[in-house]
Amino acid sequence: MSRRRSKILVVSALAVLLLAWEGAVVLTGAQASWPFPSGIIRSGFAITADGTLLVALAGSLQRVITGFLVGALVGIPTGIAMGLLPWVNLAMRPVTESLRSIAPIAWIPLAILWLGVQGNAALFVVAYAAVFPFILNAAQAARAVDRNHLRAARALGAGPGLILRAVVVPSTLPTIFTAARIALAIAWSSIIAAELALGVKIESGGRSVAGLGQLMVATLYVKRDVNALVFGMLVIGLVSFLIDAVLRRLRDTLLPWARR
Amino acid sequence: MTDSILKIQAVRKTYVSVRTGDTIEALAGIDLEVPAGEFLAVVGPSGCGKSTLLSLVAGFTQPSAGEVLYRGQRVTGAGPERGVMFQDYALFPWRTVLGNIEFGPLARGVALTQRHARARELIRLVGLDGFENRYPHELSGGMRQRCALARMLANDPEIWLMDEPLAAVDQQTRTILQDELLRLWGDAARRPGAPTVIFVTHAIDEAVLLADRVVVLARRPGRIKAVIDIPLPRPRPAQRGSPQFAALVAQVWDLIRDEAAKAIVEEIDR
Ligand SMILES: Nc1ncnc2c1ncn2[C@@H]1O[C@H](COP(=O)(O)OP(=O)(O)O)[C@@H](O)[C@H]1O
Ligand SMILES: [Mg+2]
Repeated sequence: MSRRRSKILVVSALAVLLLAWEGAVVLTGAQASWPFPSGIIRSGFAITADGTLLVALAGSLQRVITGFLVGALVGIPTGIAMGLLPWVNLAMRPVTESLRSIAPIAWIPLAILWLGVQGNAALFVVAYAAVFPFILNAAQAARAVDRNHLRAARALGAGPGLILRAVVVPSTLPTIFTAARIALAIAWSSIIAAELALGVKIESGGRSVAGLGQLMVATLYVKRDVNALVFGMLVIGLVSFLIDAVLRRLRDTLLPWARR
Repeated sequence: MTDSILKIQAVRKTYVSVRTGDTIEALAGIDLEVPAGEFLAVVGPSGCGKSTLLSLVAGFTQPSAGEVLYRGQRVTGAGPERGVMFQDYALFPWRTVLGNIEFGPLARGVALTQRHARARELIRLVGLDGFENRYPHELSGGMRQRCALARMLANDPEIWLMDEPLAAVDQQTRTILQDELLRLWGDAARRPGAPTVIFVTHAIDEAVLLADRVVVLARRPGRIKAVIDIPLPRPRPAQRGSPQFAALVAQVWDLIRDEAAKAIVEEIDR
């Protein structure tokens, strides 16, 4: 089949599917609890036009990026130290292994207790979620530094400081970029989970919307707009795809030597 | 010999295999003296301890027994006066050609303008002009080799420790690089204070072509089977195909043949 014909096939299949979906919901009169394409588009326009979506998105993104940076700043040096120094590894291993097995969102109640519902609790959860991919990958990459690269550097006169800066760190960077992609994906899903949990609490206290998760809770429980809720879900997926694309692009420009 | 730059005295090296826990006697009782300025080739079947020998001189590992003395001092670690060229080049993939070559001077604290000047000089010397900003993965095998050679030379090391540096290129490139290596070392007119070279290879003709002496190693355990003087006149490239050259290659080959055959049989058994 030619490329053009297969494209036509895909598009028409999609169109048929959407029409069937729309028809099924509208004809059965289930619009109150079932989303449908035209409703999603209409509600999507509405929450985009009045600015609520953008404000919520900015709030979520800001916390994800801050939490992600905290995770990187803590996780990368910790991981590299664990990879290079057996005693650090021995000391940290039990801590990281046990903490890692506790799901980030399981911390939400405690985080709320300590940090309140305004946003820092979500930030904590995100940083917590992001730190482990960095630790694990940085440690593994630091252990895997090519022995001959280390030997070459020593034979050229490099001391420990230069070896760390100019051999160990660059060797680990490609793996750390992979870690960053994993960390951002986990961070993004954790923020939504955290905000959903916080959102319920906020709504009961009658406070304003702060992030995408809260917005979804508000649209569902306050406005009863199931279409806006689904639009929010689509935005979440799109953002996570865009973040990953940006990271991949960043990797190719920052580490041109690692491109395969 | 009073002017020996390197003395290897009763050196043994045993490894403990991580996988099986067995001890492997990589080198057993090596005695060798290398006069300053000599071009020494080391040949032997794979697994006979050639790389181990270089690692000991470079200071990457310590002998299990015996001593490695460099200028009368026990070798306890690596140092920039002993340059190393690895079989897999070990170029830093995250550094450009220029970045790799200037690494030694950088490590020794040479100022930016000076080390760039030195790196550019070497780039010209090894024929990598126009490639200074390429990364190693963008280079051909022969170009990577030149880059590794230039990186080693940038520190002006007193001794060059070269582990099968020409093993992975095609025959034409290899011939060209042999000639260049000889030229850089001072094949035609040996200067006083010329570098000493320990050149590991599995190619006997290459060893005979380049070296003043050829050390033949045997394996299991690794030991010196013979040391053969190569009295061919220099410059050497002209000796390719001469009858004396062919005779010396045949002589070394006779010594190595049994070992090589044994190595192949053991390889098959495993
Ligand atoms: N780090 C190591 N651990 C265990 N065994 C080793 C190690 N390095 C080398 N060997 C063993 O020592 C012997 C000599 O190795 P090597 O010096 O690399 O030989 P060559 O360079 O001549 O091929 C081989 O049997 C090899 O398997
Ligand atoms: Mg070897």
